[in-house]
Amino acid sequence: MIALLIANSLALASLLIMLSSGLALIYGLRDVINFGHGAIYMLGAYLGYTIALVGGFWLALLLVPLLLALLGIAFEYLALRPLQRRSHIEVALVTLGLGIILGQVIIYIYGGEARSVDAPKILSGSVTVLHLSYPVYRLFLIVMGLGSCALLALWLRYTSSGLYVRAVSQDPSVARMMGINADRLSLLVTSLSTAFAGIAGVLAGPYLSVDPGMDVVMIVNCLIIVVIGGTGSIGGAIIAALLFGFVQVAGSVFLPNLAALVPYILLMVVLLIAPGGIGRGRVMS
Amino acid sequence: MTDDLRASTTATFGSLSQRSLAIAVGLIGLCAGAIVPTYLASDFVLRLGSEGLLLGLLALSVAFLMNQAGLVALGAASIYGGAGYLFAIGMSDWGLSPTAALCVAFLILLVYAAMLGALIVRTNPLAFMMLTLAAGEMISHAVLLEGLRDYTGGADGLVVRVNGSVLGIDALRFADPVQFWCIAWIVTVLIGLAFWAIGRSRLGVVLRAIRGNEERMRFSGFNTFLPRLIGYVLVNVAAAIAGFLHVLNAGFVSPESLGLFVSTNTLVAALIGGISGSLGPILGGLIFSFAQDEFGARGLTQLLTGVAIVLFIVVFPRGVVGGLSSLSKRLGWRREGA
Repeated sequence: MIALLIANSLALASLLIMLSSGLALIYGLRDVINFGHGAIYMLGAYLGYTIALVGGFWLALLLVPLLLALLGIAFEYLALRPLQRRSHIEVALVTLGLGIILGQVIIYIYGGEARSVDAPKILSGSVTVLHLSYPVYRLFLIVMGLGSCALLALWLRYTSSGLYVRAVSQDPSVARMMGINADRLSLLVTSLSTAFAGIAGVLAGPYLSVDPGMDVVMIVNCLIIVVIGGTGSIGGAIIAALLFGFVQVAGSVFLPNLAALVPYILLMVVLLIAPGGIGRGRVMS
Repeated sequence: MTDDLRASTTATFGSLSQRSLAIAVGLIGLCAGAIVPTYLASDFVLRLGSEGLLLGLLALSVAFLMNQAGLVALGAASIYGGAGYLFAIGMSDWGLSPTAALCVAFLILLVYAAMLGALIVRTNPLAFMMLTLAAGEMISHAVLLEGLRDYTGGADGLVVRVNGSVLGIDALRFADPVQFWCIAWIVTVLIGLAFWAIGRSRLGVVLRAIRGNEERMRFSGFNTFLPRLIGYVLVNVAAAIAGFLHVLNAGFVSPESLGLFVSTNTLVAALIGGISGSLGPILGGLIFSFAQDEFGARGLTQLLTGVAIVLFIVVFPRGVVGGLSSLSKRLGWRREGA
């Protein structure tokens, strides 16, 4: 029972980690929360659905992140850079508007009904681990989530670009004085963040449903996680995503009547105890 | 000495007569705005106009907080829709008279706004924006909870029947488009004036100073928490009034009134009109309402909402009213130069 609970929450947390660490990365560099992140995830899911119909799930998992990385580059050049001198709130509102546009265009193309994506043969069915039968696809999700988490940590810790990202997140002006090109880093980070959102979208297909409301649900979850984690802290976001996944899964088991509210209760409790979130975010007062 | 006295008395009398003139013009404008459209416009147009005024009231609340405190609230819908739900529940489930239900609902909303505000106005503006969005979504999920279905009617919403009078006004008056326009107009203008006055009061000055530099204000010995909390509660009072007017007029509440799109529409209305001052947001609400009628049938409302947010922030950050005032200033300056 406990093992199942933890496995399920890890599966959900995997998706959330991919999305919220992308949000936290952009925030660290640009001080901007991308309110359109949910719509990008939704685009990933719908593109994944279409490509999976034509060329199969694996092709979708390969192609969608590449396509969305291109979208991230466009986002960086067409939105973030021209608006660099505007206030962060205004840029955040622009991303909100862009997200609404993207979401509405997707709904216009695909229509309002929910779509489902089948997992590939190897990943459908279930395996028995320690006398417990568990769906293979969720294990795959956990592996992907923890894997991307580990890759992200390795990149941030052991590469020079990772070092630069950490430096800019900690103190943008000093980092710039030391000769770090924040624009080039931001291009890398933005495309990485949208690519991760694409992977999350494709992975969500067989696990959750692909439907017109998925962008709002996901962006709200991610915002809660980013706030709980301490805005801009990637480690905090990862821990918060794990906590969020666990609380939501446990809530739906133990408090089915209140399950929809449990994440918000978690948010309020964290805000009461630690208004700055659990991570070492640098911005909350 | 006597010259000084004379100068000051003429100045006082001058400003007094100017002020009374301004009040007279204002009163005439208030009455004309309430009555003239009811003769010129059809019921349908009046209905659209009233919806626009209510949206303008909401936009006013969002714009005031944006302009004075630098905080963007994305949760206007939860107070707006919540007012309708609480009013309906107060009458049907708690057996209150309409006026009592209104007062109880208003008190609950005040307490909710104060509690939520105490939690979130401490955070930075970006976190505030995320938290208001999350709180709004929380309320819209709460209404759909299975356990509350008996109270809230789930996805179907509630039909609200008001028997008798509300605050001394016959409930039937709210359902009539002509009379409702008058009520909505007067309430909107009065609240617009109130916000204009608050913006010029000490509270407005302190809020703007906190927006400019919160740390400096704190070190100068100002309480930076309480003014923002008061500002947050005040704008929610306006949102609640808009919600009450809406439910009295429409006669039902639905989960859509709590939805995220109400909040984003409000934001768009504020941006269209321009967030500085009271005139802009109200005008923005009216423009939005008529534009929605034009494009809504084609299912384009939400798409255009997104486009409008981007367009107005990037190209016209001061909105229609701000743009017009700067245009008239420029023209005036040219005339002077010539």
